[in-house]
Amino acid sequence: MLRIVRDLLRTNWEFAAGTLLLLGVLVLALLSFLSPYSPIDVYVVPPDMPPSGEYLLGTTSRGQDLFWQLTAALRNTLLFGIVVAAVSRVIALLVGLFAGYLGGGGDRLLMLFNDTFIVLPIFPILVLFYFVMRDQMSTFMLALVMACLGWAYDARLIRAVAMSVKAREFTTHSVFAGMTPTEIVLREHLPYVVPLLFSTTMNNINWSIGLEVTLAVLGFTDVNTPSIGGLIYWANQHTALVSGIWWWLAFPVVALVALFVGLFLLAISMNEYIDPRSRLARLGGGT
Amino acid sequence: MSAVLSAQGLRAYYRVQAFGVTREVRAVDDVTLAVGQNEIYGIAGESSSGKSSLIKTLARAIRPPLEVVGGSVTYDFGDGPQDLYAMAPDRLAAIRWRNLSYIMQGSMSVLNPVRRIRRAFADFARPHMEGSRAEYEERVEAHLAHLQLSPSVLDAFPHELSGGMRQRVTIALATVCRPRFIIADEPTTALDVIVQKDVLAMLRRIQQEMASSMLFVTHDMAVHAHLTDRLGIIYAGRLVEEGATRDVFRTPLHPYTSHLIASLPRIGDVAPKQGLPGRPPNLADPPPGCRFHPRCPLAIPVCREQSPPLEALAPGHRVACPVASRMPQAA
Repeated sequence: MLRIVRDLLRTNWEFAAGTLLLLGVLVLALLSFLSPYSPIDVYVVPPDMPPSGEYLLGTTSRGQDLFWQLTAALRNTLLFGIVVAAVSRVIALLVGLFAGYLGGGGDRLLMLFNDTFIVLPIFPILVLFYFVMRDQMSTFMLALVMACLGWAYDARLIRAVAMSVKAREFTTHSVFAGMTPTEIVLREHLPYVVPLLFSTTMNNINWSIGLEVTLAVLGFTDVNTPSIGGLIYWANQHTALVSGIWWWLAFPVVALVALFVGLFLLAISMNEYIDPRSRLARLGGGT
Repeated sequence: MSAVLSAQGLRAYYRVQAFGVTREVRAVDDVTLAVGQNEIYGIAGESSSGKSSLIKTLARAIRPPLEVVGGSVTYDFGDGPQDLYAMAPDRLAAIRWRNLSYIMQGSMSVLNPVRRIRRAFADFARPHMEGSRAEYEERVEAHLAHLQLSPSVLDAFPHELSGGMRQRVTIALATVCRPRFIIADEPTTALDVIVQKDVLAMLRRIQQEMASSMLFVTHDMAVHAHLTDRLGIIYAGRLVEEGATRDVFRTPLHPYTSHLIASLPRIGDVAPKQGLPGRPPNLADPPPGCRFHPRCPLAIPVCREQSPPLEALAPGHRVACPVASRMPQAA
């Protein structure tokens, strides 16, 4: 594993750049634990100070040090994405692998659910959830709701792989050896989709963070918990652009773009690890 | 000699339904055969003659659309004959691998490419073996050593092994529980002749040591001549001839068998080989009567009408051909 990472770092600039960007974001997020202020306190520093030696990224109109706000926001946003991705991966894996292996009626039933979730318009539903649940809608709750809405595409993808693996000889072999369907799915088929899982995880984190930011900017989340979207929300509330507090908007956006691009680069460079043909193409050895 | 496996009038069809029309492909049609203890029974036939369907049916490793339509498959593992298709699932699970094991076609794809060999043994063989973990590991390693494989293959992935090694691993996997009956589906087809000879010798040795029976399927007549004790010839889903391998090669009775054997090259033989005209029949719509009659040089009118039964013309030598039955036997 370590050797693969080292090789990828050396030969694959997407992987190297993505790792670098994500590491930067991660370090920032971890710095939040050293913050001198509680992230939810306001008016702890003079408001509207531009970036300087004292306030690295300036201060907000709410009297918060933007640097420490950003670290806390990144930590929460990243955690949010990871929770959504982890929970939705579990659902996608179970549905995809079992639907692919079982086939027939079970497959049709599971895919009925799956396709329902694919066609559901997620954004209005999330807004609806916010209005219905209001005070109970913590960041964690939102993550769970989004995880329950965001697994369907990947479940189809995993099902496709499971169907092809099912048709291979070793599955017949496993059945003949008396393994139960659960054992076959979890022991024989699961390892097959793990690389796929990596890259869908990255995409899912991107998707969930993007949606969370959209909701937060519009004020449809718990904006008192600092998050990237929450920072932009408060900047808009205080008309930061009009009053020339550009840093309040610029730095969260830059951090968010770095996070997105980093995850995206990692997801596409994963291709190289999954599919040896693209490695060959890079070496000029045909396709 | 009591039969370990006996199949009676076995029929298995591929049934496909589309738009209300049912199509049947009669891949196994009225096959009756028996395999005794400590015997290697060979099944020969060309591609698409129903060999693989037959042994999948004999192993109960069939999946829709292939289904058993009639007949029975009975195994006797020393505790009385039992019908394979009437067996309860737990009993079936208990005999598989321990008593009945299956070396599947295409060893290249039998092993899961993303799992190490050690895991394959743990998944497939461990549940069927008793004893502690240490005993199990010792047995596996001893068995591998017996097949000239070093224990280090256990930590390899299938793609890290050569074709011959992989084939030996598959055989090791199927024989580690010392089964009484081994079904082998073209285990040597993908190998070159030298590796093939090794693997065949190894199979033979294992079979003899365990005094188990084996059903060996290949289209390669040379392998049959080399390995099997008795031989059954399949044509278009039917058993057309059966007998001791030596007798079948010396005095083939069915015209199809004669052609099959005549196709084998011999050293010093420079005469051009004559191909049999025509193609194997479409099993969804087989010709009436004897399925071989459109290609048969000896066909007589009765062949077009009646499907010939298997008749014993010599002790242990059965043939399904009215022409051969009428001819005086030189042997």
